[in-house]
Amino acid sequence: MNQKSLKTYLGIDIGSLTIKFVLIDEKAEVLYWKYERTGGRPVEAIKNGLKKVKDWIESHNPQIEICGVGTTGSGRYLIGSIVGADVIKNEITAHAKGVTHFVPEAKTVIEIGGQDSKIIILENGVVVDFALNYLCSAGTGAFLDAQAFRLGIPIEKFGEMALKSKNPTQIASRCSVFAESDMIHKQQIGHKIEDIIAGLCQGLARNYLAGVGKGKKILPPIVFLGGVSENVGMRWAFREALGQEIIVPKYNTVMGAFGVALLVKEMAPQNTKFRGFEISDKEIECDSFQCSGCPNKCEVIQAKIEGKIVARWGDRCGKWSNLRYD
Amino acid sequence: MEREPIVTFANWGNYTIAFKVLFESLGIRVVLPEKTNPQAILEGAKISPEMFCFPFKVNLGNYLSAIRNGANTIFMVTATGGSCRLRYYAVTQDKILKESGEKVNFIILDQGVRDIFLKVKKFSQKSIWQILRAAKLCLEMLFFIEKIEKKAAFLRPREIKKGKTDLVFSEAIKKLEKVKKEKDFKKVQKEILEEFSKIEIQKISNLPKVGIVGEIYTVCDPGVNFEIEKKLGREGIEVHKEITLSYHLSKKFLFVDWRIQRKIKKYLGSTVGGHGRDAIYEMLKYVKKGFDGVIQLLPAFCMPETTVRPILEKIHQETGIPFLSLSFDEEVAEAGIDTRLEAFVDVVKNYHESKKS
Repeated sequence: MNQKSLKTYLGIDIGSLTIKFVLIDEKAEVLYWKYERTGGRPVEAIKNGLKKVKDWIESHNPQIEICGVGTTGSGRYLIGSIVGADVIKNEITAHAKGVTHFVPEAKTVIEIGGQDSKIIILENGVVVDFALNYLCSAGTGAFLDAQAFRLGIPIEKFGEMALKSKNPTQIASRCSVFAESDMIHKQQIGHKIEDIIAGLCQGLARNYLAGVGKGKKILPPIVFLGGVSENVGMRWAFREALGQEIIVPKYNTVMGAFGVALLVKEMAPQNTKFRGFEISDKEIECDSFQCSGCPNKCEVIQAKIEGKIVARWGDRCGKWSNLRYD
Repeated sequence: MEREPIVTFANWGNYTIAFKVLFESLGIRVVLPEKTNPQAILEGAKISPEMFCFPFKVNLGNYLSAIRNGANTIFMVTATGGSCRLRYYAVTQDKILKESGEKVNFIILDQGVRDIFLKVKKFSQKSIWQILRAAKLCLEMLFFIEKIEKKAAFLRPREIKKGKTDLVFSEAIKKLEKVKKEKDFKKVQKEILEEFSKIEIQKISNLPKVGIVGEIYTVCDPGVNFEIEKKLGREGIEVHKEITLSYHLSKKFLFVDWRIQRKIKKYLGSTVGGHGRDAIYEMLKYVKKGFDGVIQLLPAFCMPETTVRPILEKIHQETGIPFLSLSFDEEVAEAGIDTRLEAFVDVVKNYHESKKS
């Protein structure tokens, strides 16, 4: 047997609804990936997720050694300080990094996740422009989820139903609340369900291009990522709206995690800050307090492992976050 | 019975203390509002009309905190010219405060030397000479604050011990706050500059540079813009801003608008109110100077800045300079701003590197 340990890097992308794990080796080959719902409990999700990574390693190749960990997504600081991340990176840079590995010539990246949607404009593999949805999350995964649930259709089948439609219904989709009322209305006047779903997909694509994509140079090749890119109805809607081929690469739902794993690999930390898989068995707690040091009154958040504070953040001045906690 | 007037005014970033010294050197008691914090924003937003601009709501929150601490007289400036809602700030705020049962004397100053002078004179019962001296001290302090702000923006990305500049800066503001007389001011100025000169820095000349444009209140108050200058500085970016209070004051005298209009003719033919034209002019200037990014800051519902935003986007498309527009109100979360800023910093650094090769 191979006695030498296999160097690997772990990327974790924690979003509003889901958590993604990607384990890559030195050649940037994906060894393991996982896409799961957090159920609104990020800390539990990270504990369970790490346990699964550990089980997989033990059953497949015990020689695997984690040489670096990176986190991204909206929960990157929380999860980063709990697991001990070497790289904590915003999701835009992470996604761009991942995409250019699979589609080096990509110029536009459309990413729609649970509660946010973004557009990234690339030139020669470098981010030159980006936008995130603002003030409104109409058309993101959470809304599609809710609608699928309301109609009693499993979310995985939602897109296929849209493709069956021959005559999509117009749905007002500037706002998700109005979109829902309009859908109910269209159902009640007798439109077919697949027409309504197709119309909704079209409406959401339109809403995305008018909101997030406004004023951006959307040039091909266009890459579509995030949980919503699994939805073939949305792929179709974007293809129709843009008149361009939409590329959905491999690992489309975990691209952020893959990107941040690549970033760690490139950084190649000498000694990883990773706390080890043991933390999934430890008690992790987070709470907050209001600092009364100055009128800023910052809400300081602290993460504790087994009652011992490992990190604090949320303060403006750095009084708490700059302390050493090891 | 006549009560002793205790004066307060809206908080405006680091400039607030310059107005304090104006009144105090005339022998008037001042109670400063608390620095703009989430609580003030929340309280102000609660009693404000939902669709009014953000600074209006913050101002009200500021007044409330000062009133709690004993203030009973509020000074507020209004815009006589221009076409933006700042004109209605003072009268509407006065009405809202009265309607919420606050017994305050609300004094509205037009943005004109004559009006300010007459009202301050009537209020303070002091001689012309005394008022001129107080005004001189106020302006001097204002210019000095802007000077150290600029110094801090230069030092932050270069400092060897991280956070040192911000420490010195906040100490400096604390010292300036205690100044009551001209004589003390000279001494304190010297002390502060000495402290600044003690900050050790790396000698780097070619740092990525970002220019901040936008609505003046949002650009200048770190409490409102989530300390954007500090955050960029810590990421190793040199931050420049032109739209300061002294710039705004200079516009009253030096035909600035006329000169700006000639330079931006290609993009905009007339004023759109506020500092809309200035934002375009500054962005063009930053492009010309070879900056690596431009950030526009605006309060939500700000009419002039919203109007020029597509023009700034166009300049960004034409020239390729990274551009980010951030709008602020009571619903905006710092986390969202941070994510955008972090990503923008990466874009700026890439752009900076690509120019080198």
